[in-house]
Amino acid sequence: MTSVDLAMLATVVGSIVVFGGAAVLALGWAFRNGQFENFQQGSLSIFGPDEPVGEPTDAFPGMTEPDRRSETN
Amino acid sequence: MAEPAATPRLTDRDRSAAERAAIDASCRGPVLYFTTSAVVWLLIGSLLALVASIKLHSPYFLTGSPELTFGRVRMAHLQAVAMGWSSMATVAACLWLMCRLSRAELVYPKLLYLSGTLWNVGVLVAVLGILLGDAQSVEWLDAPRYAPPFFVAGLGIVAAWVMAVFRRRQEPHVYVTQWYILAAVFWFPWLYLTTVFMIFWSPATGVVQPIVNWWFGHNVLGLWFTPVAVGTAYYLIPKIIGRPIHSYYLSIMGFWALALFYSWAGMHHLIGGPIPAWLATASTVGSMMMFIPVIAVAINHHMTMRGHFRRLKYSPALRFTVFGAIAYTWVSFQGSIEALKDFNEVVHFTHYTVAHAHLGVYGFVAMIFFGLYYYMIPRLTGREWVSPLLIRVHFWCAAVGITLYFVSLSIGGWWQGRMLNNPNIPFGRIIDYLLPYLYARSIAGVLLTVGHLAFATLFVMNLFGWGRLRSGPTYFVEPEETTPTPTTERAERELIPVR
Repeated sequence: MTSVDLAMLATVVGSIVVFGGAAVLALGWAFRNGQFENFQQGSLSIFGPDEPVGEPTDAFPGMTEPDRRSETN
Repeated sequence: MAEPAATPRLTDRDRSAAERAAIDASCRGPVLYFTTSAVVWLLIGSLLALVASIKLHSPYFLTGSPELTFGRVRMAHLQAVAMGWSSMATVAACLWLMCRLSRAELVYPKLLYLSGTLWNVGVLVAVLGILLGDAQSVEWLDAPRYAPPFFVAGLGIVAAWVMAVFRRRQEPHVYVTQWYILAAVFWFPWLYLTTVFMIFWSPATGVVQPIVNWWFGHNVLGLWFTPVAVGTAYYLIPKIIGRPIHSYYLSIMGFWALALFYSWAGMHHLIGGPIPAWLATASTVGSMMMFIPVIAVAINHHMTMRGHFRRLKYSPALRFTVFGAIAYTWVSFQGSIEALKDFNEVVHFTHYTVAHAHLGVYGFVAMIFFGLYYYMIPRLTGREWVSPLLIRVHFWCAAVGITLYFVSLSIGGWWQGRMLNNPNIPFGRIIDYLLPYLYARSIAGVLLTVGHLAFATLFVMNLFGWGRLRSGPTYFVEPEETTPTPTTERAERELIPVR
């Protein structure tokens, strides 16, 4: 086995260990941290008091939007 | 009776808007630097693409100089649009979305200017080096040997800064878009470094090189552009229509399924090649398993949009993003089918594959990033887009252009493959048969370029302050014809400073 072969093997095995391990660690952290516990609450995290659920935030410039109230759920 | 002076008149709503505006302001400079660079490379890439496309049906076009031969121009186009436009737009998306979703301001933004400059120098030397004859004969890694260090250094800074913002997050929940971005800034440096190491710096021997080459070629889309573009859609669609994702559970499951299966899929590019049969078969299995995350994303995007499709008439960001999301479903299904050996035997080495690749990087990735620009830039510059007409020109040129490109090359490429597999058909006849499809490709290229010029015009005018001022820190537009919304009322009442 040449030094190049060894370098290749180290790269491949190292990648598997580092990145497989990273995925396992990330999953473990997410579970311990409660990231997968309340999915409904998680989906609301991008909204806030200024841009709440039910309020669209985009339109063509200068164009009248349809009645926002009729768009909400 | 006057209100007590100690009681601020800021409501929760205003406080939240002010926080969001401060976050946007913190990352404005670096994000605008990356987005501007991306637009410049998009225009250069479009020009190179047009030259390459015309040469396919008119081979005597621009034959006077070796710099403009088809092989060089096509490689330079790939580097300009992949490492220039798409990658720099990807970085901009990572930075802005991570700051917003973490509810954390960007720290030490000046180092990101260094990162952007390193990246620009990398793309510049890649494009010029290729045109001057220094290209490497490795698809997707055609850049000369002196270009990768610039990308590695630039990417390292970006990855570190994205992680730094995540570490400083104020929002405890990690939204699905953040999962995608974190994965992308973790995966791509590894993918790029490993590939450059195994092909250029310490070259592997034999068939390992093409294996590594196509592991990169496939995964640069799947582990870099795809996660960020899908994550962007997962942010933009719910935000624009004001409705949470249909099934958040499905979105998380889709992310982990992509993480598990996508990196297997690259070897289907080598079906029929001199690689171990099990490797190609494993890759085909991985490609089939990709149906899981793709269906999860497709269901989620469609069901989130259900009942809101008429918003596509109004929102440029939504229209581009939904187009990109539909293209993602289509191109992913198509990619899985292409990995089947019987199908691959026909379409491999034909224009069908070129059509598929462009549906992925343009119909899916670029369209979602156009949507991101239309949503993000006004929030960063404080100016609205100056011309709805130019936005429409951009959208229709892009949508019709990529559709024409995809349909013409898919049909032409399919029959090209069928004829190539028939030894009784002379090669010259296949070339003649393809000519109409190649002309259609050039027409599509002209349309796309016109769209890009409209887009660049809008972008530059916005940067130079030609659009009208936004009336609040976060809303997109408050039409003059409608009743004032809480934002404009609030701005008038409380004199919120206009940015």
